[in-house]
Amino acid sequence: MPSRETIVARRAPLRPLLAKEIREIVAGRALWILLLLTCPLVGYSFFQAVSLYAESSTAAQQSPELAVSLSPLDGVLVPTFGASYVAVTLLFPFVAIRVLGQEKESGTLRLLVQLPYRTSTLIAAKLAAIFAAIMLVSVPALATLAWWTSLGGHLSAPETSNLVAGHVLYGLLVGAIALFAAAATDSTATAAIVALAFTIGSWVLDFTIAGRPGILEWLSRLSLTQILRSFEQGMLTAAVALGVIAAIGGFATLAGIWLSPGVAAHVKLARSSICVLATVVVLALVVQIGFARDVTEDRRNSFPAADARALAKLSEPLRVSVHLAPEDPRFIDLQRNVLSKLARAMPDTTIRLAAARQPVATGTGDEGYGQIEFSYGARTDVTRSTSPREILPLLYGLAQVPVPRPDPGGGYPGYPLVADAQVTLPFFFGALPLLIAWAWWLSRRPPQRGFVVSKETTK
Amino acid sequence: MDVAALTKRFGEQFALANVAFDIHAGEVLGIIGPNGAGKTTLLEGVAGLLPMDSGDVRWQGRSLPVAQRRNSIFYLPDGLRPYQDQYVARVLAFFAGVYRAPRAQVALAIERLALAPVLQKRVRALSKGFGRRLMLAIGLLTPQPVLVMDEPFDGFDLRQTRDVVHMLRELAAGGRTLVLAIHQLADAERVCDRFLLLADGRVLARGTLDELRSRTARPRASLEDIFLALT
Repeated sequence: MPSRETIVARRAPLRPLLAKEIREIVAGRALWILLLLTCPLVGYSFFQAVSLYAESSTAAQQSPELAVSLSPLDGVLVPTFGASYVAVTLLFPFVAIRVLGQEKESGTLRLLVQLPYRTSTLIAAKLAAIFAAIMLVSVPALATLAWWTSLGGHLSAPETSNLVAGHVLYGLLVGAIALFAAAATDSTATAAIVALAFTIGSWVLDFTIAGRPGILEWLSRLSLTQILRSFEQGMLTAAVALGVIAAIGGFATLAGIWLSPGVAAHVKLARSSICVLATVVVLALVVQIGFARDVTEDRRNSFPAADARALAKLSEPLRVSVHLAPEDPRFIDLQRNVLSKLARAMPDTTIRLAAARQPVATGTGDEGYGQIEFSYGARTDVTRSTSPREILPLLYGLAQVPVPRPDPGGGYPGYPLVADAQVTLPFFFGALPLLIAWAWWLSRRPPQRGFVVSKETTK
Repeated sequence: MDVAALTKRFGEQFALANVAFDIHAGEVLGIIGPNGAGKTTLLEGVAGLLPMDSGDVRWQGRSLPVAQRRNSIFYLPDGLRPYQDQYVARVLAFFAGVYRAPRAQVALAIERLALAPVLQKRVRALSKGFGRRLMLAIGLLTPQPVLVMDEPFDGFDLRQTRDVVHMLRELAAGGRTLVLAIHQLADAERVCDRFLLLADGRVLARGTLDELRSRTARPRASLEDIFLALT
């Protein structure tokens, strides 16, 4: 039998709560200032990216081979959205903290927690407001997509939507961290420090220890920036997307635990420990999901279609033993060009890193260092090449299947575009900021007389 | 509602020590005591907003868990300005919307607390008196049978206090139970049916004014005299 609380919680309408959360985030100056700052930042990045793309395109017009390397995703979208990423990393925590920090600092939280909503509903409403805010903050970046197509640029729907989804997920994660920081601390200033410690801290983590061996390599994977990397490379990876969603859920649950003022600190700590443990378990399970799709138009993360089909037909397990240290540039090259593609084309592939560190350059070191050993069935072959052009024929040789013929035509043509983005500057430096200022002014207008007894209350 | 042996310590110091009282439907209970007596701690403990070390709150004979207190009790803290960047009309509309308060109830709350002139003002721009009226209006829009208020008369002048006393008495006459922490004893004497006198987190006395007079052997004493005699 449901408790009375359950019944009351079910009956409480969500609309006023959602409207209040969105009004609260819109009422703060932080959102509008962030939007106004993002306009020129994104606009100038877009202008520069298009200019550089146009320069490369000029050369590519005389040489079709050069055109193949011109992808709007790398040339324009990633650098443009990168500017939005910087703004979100550094400034969005201040916007997201407001959804709870203001209520906590003013004492209004003591009214909020008495309302007939479950804590999870209160947190979900706040996350919804954060989502609305991140969509608003994305407006300048999304406007560049419209400008790019209007300049004659090409957009691939799967890779563009994948990139946008990555940035939205990243923004939501930053928002969830800020929400937790606001719930766990007493003032918005402290919450901002905690949230920035996560965002900027993981940035530093990414810069300083990425590519280092052992535990440092593992630590660098916790960086928030790493999340975006796979989306920017045009990969839709279930482990990354679901991992981010699990992390958002974990931080939101932690925020819920620390929201209730009527619960003793030691109880909150105990519940938080369980929550962190549960999130870690979910993350550990999620990273096991192998599903990944290359959504790029040029299939840069995959072998050519004919090779992918041929490799998929190889039924026996493949074992790869790499005698390279993880920080060795050859290993990074091999990982990017061969191993990651191979793991998706042949799911039954085991990769073993046989060398933990590079030998000292004395000439008397490990002779086998640099070798990559492939074992398929009972046959084994060794190479020192990290190029798929050498490794794929080696694999076909091991499997005793013929080298597939490339598919005729239909290759990626490349999308060179010589365009002048000067025309967009007045929009990003003038029209859009004015539009945002007008929306800000609209949001600050008082309600009409009679509003309180006519619009939002029941008859 | 019964409050049994509520105890709260901050470090070695007792903020509340075995505080107990009961209250019946339609009754107005005044919690009085000097500054630092534990009035606000008691109210927050009863409302479930501050974890207590021990003690219980019972509703109709059954223990009322902290998570369910909000079904029966609504607490209006002292000195709170909710949603300061919002307009008064929007704040009222929010609470009315959450509790599905009928339009007539909203209109009545605005009228009784004379909030019409400030509906289009931001909460942060309100004077102390209007801020207090807004909180009272929120209290009027909530449906819980027990309304707990911390210093409901703070910020009101004489006439406004009289009007609010009248309004609270009407509320109680309608069956709503009120628990008020009041430091102005003359106001408390006018509005409350019974009193709980707190000092240093302990209950010094409880009862009606007449019962307190008998206890202090001062048959014509005011609440202020009794307070001074007992503290």
